[in-house]
Amino acid sequence: MNMKSDVKVSIKHLHKHFGAETAVKDFNLDITQGEFVTLLGPSGCGKTTTLRCVAGLERPEEGEIQIGNETVVAPAKDIYLFPEHRNIGMVFQSYAVWPHMTVFDNVAYGLRVRRTSSKEIKTRTMRALELVGLDHLAERFATKLSGGQRQRVALARAIVYEPDVILFDEPLSNLDAKLREQMRDEIVRLQKEVGITSIFVTHDQSEALVMSDRVVVMDKAVIQQIGGPEDIYANPVNSFVANFIGVTSLLEGKLTARNGGVCDVEVPSANGSDPLQLRGAGAPGAQPGDGIFLNLRPEDVQLHLEAPDVSDGKNVIEGQVIDTIYLGSFLEGRVRASGHEIGIQIDHYENLSPGQTVWLTFQPEHGLCLTE
Amino acid sequence: MTTETLSPTLQRSRLNNRLRAMVTQENMITVVVALIVAGAVIVPLAVLFVSSFKVLDPLGWDTVWGFGNYVEMFTDRIIPKAFLNTLIISSGATVLATFLGVTLAWINARTNCPGRDYLEPYNLIPFFLSPFIGAIAWHNLGEPQTGLLNNWARDILGIEGALINVDNIWGVIWVTGIFFAPLVYLFVVGSLRRMDPSLEDSARTTGAGLVRTTMTVTLPLVMPGILSGAIIVFVTSAGEFGVPFKLSAPYGWETLTTQIFSKAVGDDANHYLGAAMSMALGIITVLLIWVQQRYIAPRSFTTVTGKGFRPNVLDLGPWKWVAFGYNLMFIAVAVVLPIVCLIIVSLHPVWTGKMVWADITTINYVKTLFWWRPDAIAAATNGIINSLILAFGGASIAMVMALVISYMIHRTKGFGVRMLDFLSVVPIGFPGIVLAMGVLVTYIQTPIYATLWILMLAYITRFFPYGQRNISSIMLAISEELDQSSRMAGASWFTTLRRITIPLLKPGLFAGWILLFIIFLRELSISIILFTTGTETLSVGVYYLTNFENEPLTAALSMAQTVLLLIAIYAFRRFAGREALTA
Repeated sequence: MNMKSDVKVSIKHLHKHFGAETAVKDFNLDITQGEFVTLLGPSGCGKTTTLRCVAGLERPEEGEIQIGNETVVAPAKDIYLFPEHRNIGMVFQSYAVWPHMTVFDNVAYGLRVRRTSSKEIKTRTMRALELVGLDHLAERFATKLSGGQRQRVALARAIVYEPDVILFDEPLSNLDAKLREQMRDEIVRLQKEVGITSIFVTHDQSEALVMSDRVVVMDKAVIQQIGGPEDIYANPVNSFVANFIGVTSLLEGKLTARNGGVCDVEVPSANGSDPLQLRGAGAPGAQPGDGIFLNLRPEDVQLHLEAPDVSDGKNVIEGQVIDTIYLGSFLEGRVRASGHEIGIQIDHYENLSPGQTVWLTFQPEHGLCLTE
Repeated sequence: MTTETLSPTLQRSRLNNRLRAMVTQENMITVVVALIVAGAVIVPLAVLFVSSFKVLDPLGWDTVWGFGNYVEMFTDRIIPKAFLNTLIISSGATVLATFLGVTLAWINARTNCPGRDYLEPYNLIPFFLSPFIGAIAWHNLGEPQTGLLNNWARDILGIEGALINVDNIWGVIWVTGIFFAPLVYLFVVGSLRRMDPSLEDSARTTGAGLVRTTMTVTLPLVMPGILSGAIIVFVTSAGEFGVPFKLSAPYGWETLTTQIFSKAVGDDANHYLGAAMSMALGIITVLLIWVQQRYIAPRSFTTVTGKGFRPNVLDLGPWKWVAFGYNLMFIAVAVVLPIVCLIIVSLHPVWTGKMVWADITTINYVKTLFWWRPDAIAAATNGIINSLILAFGGASIAMVMALVISYMIHRTKGFGVRMLDFLSVVPIGFPGIVLAMGVLVTYIQTPIYATLWILMLAYITRFFPYGQRNISSIMLAISEELDQSSRMAGASWFTTLRRITIPLLKPGLFAGWILLFIIFLRELSISIILFTTGTETLSVGVYYLTNFENEPLTAALSMAQTVLLLIAIYAFRRFAGREALTA
């Protein structure tokens, strides 16, 4: 097998079933040296199963996984390496810090297993503890630590022996909101500092966007989209990805005509009033008559309190305010138009009352048309 | 109205309120119950302590105060050896039971051993059966001349002499070890089953192999459970009377319990020397239980997380059949062989070690069970009736007591709650025979001596903590808010107890009741001290038959007891489930 020199982890045609249920289907991914890749999706989408296959904690039925230059699992070739032979590090959701050992012993465990000299164990363990800011707690028992500190111990334990790749299985989801952000930033900093290849599993899209070089969005055992954070946010390939990443309004309608890059979309009314006639962009393969989801991000929608001038080719939607939610730095609003709900962002100084008639405008290029 | 005129009235009503707050239903009952329990638990132990300093004069007419009994324990011809034998037996049984219990728990909880879910109930059966009956059965299996296994070995394998001999200290260790293995099992299996698998997964991903992970992560994490189980086995073995009485005492290996029995009961009984020996045994066991409760139980690691998961199950490959065979072997030696042997022996008029088809008879069952017949043996037939009365009555009274005590400990802040909590641990620290000696010296001059009441009193005092733990574990799991909302809705304390608390606790009450029913039905070491003619219990009946009659009659009554116990075990499994045991 010829592998590009900078590919660190390669997953090909991975399949995994649990009984009749397919957990992962035809998963393909190459991860380069030092890259931070996130597997993102709702619970049960197969992201954790994929990670556990890489770790060796689950055995796939088909496919092949390579770590470094070594094939770690390939059922067709009857290859399966135990987790302990894969030179990986893993951080678990439940921290899994051993309660019967001190912080030092927890972190030193991987080095002791690797028969490192005791002098080196001491220096490398303390260096790892310094990296996560826990060197002063080395002699403390793990049971006496807070959740955030335990997760730091788990992190130090996973990096101390410099594995080829470090696997994160939703490591932040047991932490409270403030701590979660802090740990998130710390993991990113540490990952850049050490330059270690990382695979991170989460169901939290904001974590994925902030931390990753690349995001793999999964749903129902299948990869939906692979791309950089900006890419998957701005150019989702389907309505699932659009809906899962960030906040969006999806208007379901039909393609009526196509003028160059601009798609004319008719969104039927849900309450008996006139349908919405909108112009969007994208959906290159779609033919008139095909079903379309028009994807509209709140930040791309402008609010007008009076009927706006429409000469510049913008879409205009007239609707009624449903409600507004105060979110601190801005307000989030919902507007009903022809029975559909559209989310908008509102500045503080605008004072809206429910039922008030407003006008929304957006550029055709912001109305991304998706065919599925 | 001014403040001055209001003030005296207000003060009086405050005082009234405070008085009324103290004399609530709640407080009154707590204090009364605490006093009753304290009387039942503390008085016999105190009297036992005091009696141990009374020295009987050589003629046996009078007593003087002194340390004579304790001196005699060291200078006696037999007692120091009995002490040593008790230590050897308890240590040996602890090692064997711990090994068996931990391996079986690990196989059932963590490997792909075939049929492990079906095997588990059978692994636990010895826990409910009587070790005394086990000793009788193993005597009939492993006696050099008449032992069934030895005869089979001679017939089938053609060996000379005996294959095994269980009539010695090793036989005691063997029977005690296999019968107490489920104790360790129950202490370990819960944490093995509920352990967060990522604790082990992280050792694997960190680079440790399976063996190393088991040795450095899995076993240390269940170590508190293993140690607790081991201590309980040690203490229970030290207080076990039936097994050494049957297997080792007649052949020259006395233990503390058999010595207490032979010195304190009988025509030339010296209760005071018995009291001193009981004190010695009690001090050892209570110290060990204290260490377990104080230092080991609280060290249990919380290895359970909120996330739902299945425990790591190890694929043993072809070794799974070895594990399966090992498990079956345990069930064979602990359950199947003893019962089969008892059935065979009980169907012969005399037992010579060989099965004789032509001799098969049911006369032994007739003589031990049919109380209306003139040839019935009174000790056996009395035993069945008395034991059923004691088991039904004792379990019911003990569970009512346990319910009240648990309720007070967990749901009230009345006076005496801390004392109740303490009092419901104390009896666990003392072997039945020790407590029975206390009860004996306390009540021998009172009218309840030589009635079933003294037996029931001792049974309940010794074993109510088991029922109490059964209820407490459920009570801790049920939110107190359920009670409180009933009070908010206007129900009184008693109505709340009757309408809300007790219905919620029903499964625990029932499980506890059957557990006590089982314990009382097989009880020997208390009964053997406190029985008199007419108040024999089932196990005392078995003792009588094995001592004064023959093995087939003994086997017949043993089978009757075993069948009753098996029915109760079935009911327990049926209604309580496996979780109820892990208290």
